[in-house]
Amino acid sequence: MVRTVVGVDIGNSTTEASVATIGADGTVAYVGAALTRTTGVKGTPKNVDGVAKAVTWALDGAGVRLAELDLILLNEATPVISGLAMETITETIITESTMIGHDPRTPGGRGLGVGTIVDFAALDGVEAGVPSIVLVPRGVDFDDAARGINAACDRGVEITGAILCHDDAVLVANRLNAKIPIVDEVSRVDAVPRGMTAAVEVAGPGQSIRTLSNAYGLATIFDLDSDQTKVVSPVARALTGNRSAVVVRTPSGDVADRTIPAGSLELEGSRKRATVDVSRGAAEIMAEVERVSPLVDVVGEAGTNTGGMIANVRQSMADLSSHELADVRIKDLLAVDTLVPQEVRGGVAGEVALENAVALAAMVRTKESGMQAVADAVAEHLRHAGAAKVDVVVGGVEAEMAVLGALTTPGTAKPLVVLDLGGGSTDAAVIGTDGHTDATHLAGAGDLVTKLIDAELGLDNLELAEEIKRCPLAKAESFFHVRLENGTVQFFEKPLSATAFARVVTLSEFEGGMNPIPTRHSLERIRTVRRTAKERVFVVNALRALRSIAPGGDLRRIGFVVLLGGCALDFEIPELIATAVAPFGIVCGTGNVRGTEGPRNAVASGLVASYVASLGDPATGPEVGARA
Amino acid sequence: MTVSTNQDAPRSLSFKEIGVAERGKKSDEVVIAISPGFGGLFTQTIVGLPHAEVIRQILAGIEEQEASARIIRVQNSSDLAYMAHTAAKLSGSGIGIGILGRGTSMIHQRDLPRLSSLELFPQCPLLTLETYRDIGSNAAQYAKGESPQPVPTLNDQMARPRWQAKAALLHLKETELVRKGVKPVEVMPEFAAATVD
Repeated sequence: MVRTVVGVDIGNSTTEASVATIGADGTVAYVGAALTRTTGVKGTPKNVDGVAKAVTWALDGAGVRLAELDLILLNEATPVISGLAMETITETIITESTMIGHDPRTPGGRGLGVGTIVDFAALDGVEAGVPSIVLVPRGVDFDDAARGINAACDRGVEITGAILCHDDAVLVANRLNAKIPIVDEVSRVDAVPRGMTAAVEVAGPGQSIRTLSNAYGLATIFDLDSDQTKVVSPVARALTGNRSAVVVRTPSGDVADRTIPAGSLELEGSRKRATVDVSRGAAEIMAEVERVSPLVDVVGEAGTNTGGMIANVRQSMADLSSHELADVRIKDLLAVDTLVPQEVRGGVAGEVALENAVALAAMVRTKESGMQAVADAVAEHLRHAGAAKVDVVVGGVEAEMAVLGALTTPGTAKPLVVLDLGGGSTDAAVIGTDGHTDATHLAGAGDLVTKLIDAELGLDNLELAEEIKRCPLAKAESFFHVRLENGTVQFFEKPLSATAFARVVTLSEFEGGMNPIPTRHSLERIRTVRRTAKERVFVVNALRALRSIAPGGDLRRIGFVVLLGGCALDFEIPELIATAVAPFGIVCGTGNVRGTEGPRNAVASGLVASYVASLGDPATGPEVGARA
Repeated sequence: MTVSTNQDAPRSLSFKEIGVAERGKKSDEVVIAISPGFGGLFTQTIVGLPHAEVIRQILAGIEEQEASARIIRVQNSSDLAYMAHTAAKLSGSGIGIGILGRGTSMIHQRDLPRLSSLELFPQCPLLTLETYRDIGSNAAQYAKGESPQPVPTLNDQMARPRWQAKAALLHLKETELVRKGVKPVEVMPEFAAATVD
């Protein structure tokens, strides 16, 4: 008797189905597979729609009628869900408008000028021979500004620099008789203090300023003693790398690089406890997490940013899993350091500084999931749809099934580790030479990478960040060619779309799938942000996972690592992880389930394999299934 | 950003013809194509912005980006897409700007189909001098191979019913000046009250 069996894997984001027919002699033929989005939170009866869709599609693809379906095998989903939070922990504050360091694209002139700040309207009243820096407010035309400055110069006033409100620096510089440094686009020009001594510096194209970004340069210009130099050193540091800048000497002005009291995390392990200050950064948090592991729960200090962050995660997970708030316990935590562009407080030209932030991903173990309820609901739904004789059973635990599925990848052998790189969590399972399996679940995966990209590039658009995460980049240099991120050029017969011209674009696999990224970031910057985000989440988590399940914690005793899950399809994550584990002599690569399915369908295939094995000889179980 | 128009002493504008427009060789140049009646029959846009200021702001936008500019007058058409595309094809960088007497404007690139554009500013009553400055600035940035943010523009559904009749009249007047088969000429702007060097 031939039986038609479907293995169904309900994951956090996708539901996968794998159709197999089992002959009377126990031979298995995989005839079809399909995947679709998971409906609802996994492990809840809302999954039924997704399951039904995946099963129907898989059967359609295999040419099997619904009525012929005998059995559906569901996985016992790992009862974990994860949440994210991010908080900046430093801020830069400029008091009394001591500096303007917003780096306009087109400053004018060249050099360094020191003088007293004078309003453009008051230029006529300045005595000859007084070194002055002109402040040109909103509403003055560039021709008038240039004429006014030239007239003052002719009278003998020593104009040493200019600060403009509009984007006029090059225009004014081109019309002046003397070459002076000019900084423009200072939007809140009215906030610049008049009558103070100031210095304006503009460097040549491709250069950065030298004097104002050097503490001793500032000390020389403003005649500062050692204590005062100490006070202005943050100013110098804030201006490093700019092409132009203005520093104003005010009696008590300052640039403060303030650390926001972020609060602390209380990590409760099964045997140890630890308290760690979030402002100390990710490295220290992760070291503590490792020290107290296995984690039992994490609490944030009440009344601080961290407290709010953890409370948010907890609340959103409680809502998601409809648990009591008190039942939500954080079982793993991944902290990642990141730099987020933030507008500087007290700036007069919309200056932006990169502030340190910490992103946290937390994983919560939920109460046992209601998979049996899902199974019953699926059975009812499909019987209603015409599969009269279908049975639905919960066939096995996710991690074990993933290992069984992964073992069908050509070229693998035990001991084998499966790394499932998903959206919310990174899961690892190991199978020893004796067939014994073990699993671990870590917080932080694809969603965290998306969030990091979004924050670091200041996109405020998760969809775009997701696109950047998934696709290689290129720059459209003309309508007929793009330069790819590896430096090579690709030509096109037909012109590209007008929106892509001159922009950095993402190249999706689909034909002509070219999406412009509407920011000023260069291709190199976007690429670096993307790669470091992936490294800080996936490489860190891969090593963490391997360390926690490797026999005796020794990575050298793992032979094979197979990458599964949606993120294993990524164009660079597998390579980043393979490079990171190569020193330990580990063979690492993207899985190819049954030699055809790639990193997909491992759990679904494992379910079928395990079922077949249980038919043949229940005693040997997974062993036979693995070869099936 | 506001740019003063100095209403007390308005600048006047005239264009001196300096010969048939040739294709430019400078890779950083932007070519501006003006319509048959621009700065001639008409001296201001549909909302009364003086053409002298409009051209001055576009030129200023290009100059601020340290690119160079040339102006040509298209004589055989009053079609904006044709004008802007002609400018782009004559431009050493492949970037051109087209502007009609009533103020409608467009940034074009020579490899694009004529009826496409890089940036189009169709609602001339809503364009301000700041917009013209930004148009010049963006065109220059395209010429330099940078990726500028598109110029922010307003959209007003009432602009069409309110201004369509006037726009149609202006277009008709401008089209009367079209001379079939006459090549575009390169022109030099001459500002009377104040000079742009």
